[in-house]
Amino acid sequence: METAVLYNVPHEVPWLVYIPLYFYFTGLSAGSFILSTLSTVFRIKRFKPMALPAAIISFLLLLLAPACLILDLHQPTRFWHTLVPEYFNNTSALSYGSWLLTAYPIANLIYIYFIFVKNDRVTRILGMVTVPLAIFVHAYTGFAFALVRARAWWHSALMPGYFLTSALLSGIALLAVVALMMDRYRQEKLEPGLYTSLRLMMIGILLVDLFWNGSFWLTLLVSNADGHASILLALHEKLYVWGELVSGMLIPLAILVFPRTREDKVWLCLASLLIIGGVFLMRYSVVFIGFDIPLS
Amino acid sequence: MPKGGVVQSREETPGETASGSGAGEQKPKRWGMLVDQRRCIGCHSCSIACKSENNVPLGYWRSWVKGIQKGHFPDASNHFLRRLCNQCEVPPCVQVCPVQATVRREEDGVVVMYYGKCIGCGMCIAACPYDARFFNPIRNTAEKCDFCSARIDAGLQPACVEACVSRALVFGNLDDPSSEISRKLVSLGTTVIKPELGTKPKVFYVAADHQLMGRITFSDDFKEEILEYGRSIPSPDASYWKKGEGK
Repeated sequence: METAVLYNVPHEVPWLVYIPLYFYFTGLSAGSFILSTLSTVFRIKRFKPMALPAAIISFLLLLLAPACLILDLHQPTRFWHTLVPEYFNNTSALSYGSWLLTAYPIANLIYIYFIFVKNDRVTRILGMVTVPLAIFVHAYTGFAFALVRARAWWHSALMPGYFLTSALLSGIALLAVVALMMDRYRQEKLEPGLYTSLRLMMIGILLVDLFWNGSFWLTLLVSNADGHASILLALHEKLYVWGELVSGMLIPLAILVFPRTREDKVWLCLASLLIIGGVFLMRYSVVFIGFDIPLS
Repeated sequence: MPKGGVVQSREETPGETASGSGAGEQKPKRWGMLVDQRRCIGCHSCSIACKSENNVPLGYWRSWVKGIQKGHFPDASNHFLRRLCNQCEVPPCVQVCPVQATVRREEDGVVVMYYGKCIGCGMCIAACPYDARFFNPIRNTAEKCDFCSARIDAGLQPACVEACVSRALVFGNLDDPSSEISRKLVSLGTTVIKPELGTKPKVFYVAADHQLMGRITFSDDFKEEILEYGRSIPSPDASYWKKGEGK
């Protein structure tokens, strides 16, 4: 029996590219911040030179992130409604997120000040307080998707974890590029062991991200009709397969693992840039493939 | 109130509405709608009445009639599904709104919008499993069907129910066992859209085809189907809805 739709009313996608950009910027910010705390909180000495640049980058990205969010609002002048305690909705991830997005940059700025004046003890305490904030500020975006039951592509318990690991990945890749630039233009050189640590962290997290992806495919392929349709659509989407998976994950992984390329700084830079691009494509495909599946 | 569009149990439904609003809060109310697909002729009167009543911009619809065609001549048939907000008992849109701009009214279970609070983040539009919400391009906030809340508060029926030519729409109080909708819900086999999501919709359908209720199952060329769907979405750049505004 053949069936054809004669008439139906679809509604336009409510979000623009600012939303994936926002997820991308908070992810980069949280990732760089966690890297910055590796030396200040977790006392890993080799990351010491990265503490201040990482924290400053994380703060600058945090100025961009809410700007993207406000640009996407259809009533941008009402953004402050999210911070009115009376309007707080305790079932909405976005309500928690807007408070986190206010608290985290302030905590971040104070933390930067204490690194700058080289007060290690206060920096350590502040770092310990701000690390959970950095984690939550990004994890909440994963929950914002995971708690939407309407769309099978988003409604997964893996989503917050996937958002967090890819945030860390993009932060590490960005810091690797920054470290390479610092090495090139500054007098004192960075320890070569730093690059090895960054490389190993990137390999580890890339493998975790690939594991998340495999779990998504397998569960969605045997999921309900919407989930099945979304994974089939995603696997036909060139941006997802060639952009996110191949050039954003598999090629950088090969570069970082292959003995002839892994020690070379040019290759490391290339792999980091590919990862930075790939994580943006991941945000993009999560948001917009979700909208591609019609609901009626 | 025109007599023609009112359902046959005229002495019950509007009477109970009037006493419900007059007697105060002691009588529980939970508004619901029953759509009898056996009676629907696909005339789209309800969609037009909704647009006129709620001043919905051109190209956008709070409620509409989805139509599908099954089979080949001579074994073919048309089916219509009257679509509107399902006024869920567990509304996913209310769950995600960051500013409580959309709430489920405690007194009658209708999910309403507060347009002055809405920041236009679009989360409710993304979270609605029924695609019942959209951005009003003139007001720049999210918008949805609210059972014509101004009319039902005044003791009237929603505009679509009054406009229905074949009395396919039954509107009434689900908590009153003697209302027409409650009696029909007891005696007829009804269903709701996407019951598996646990949203507990309060819009019930009689004899709705299973292929109408969800999207048509993707065939092998599902990509083409999705592209086709995308082409019919009104473009944000379209200017036709601005006509008459002097823009």
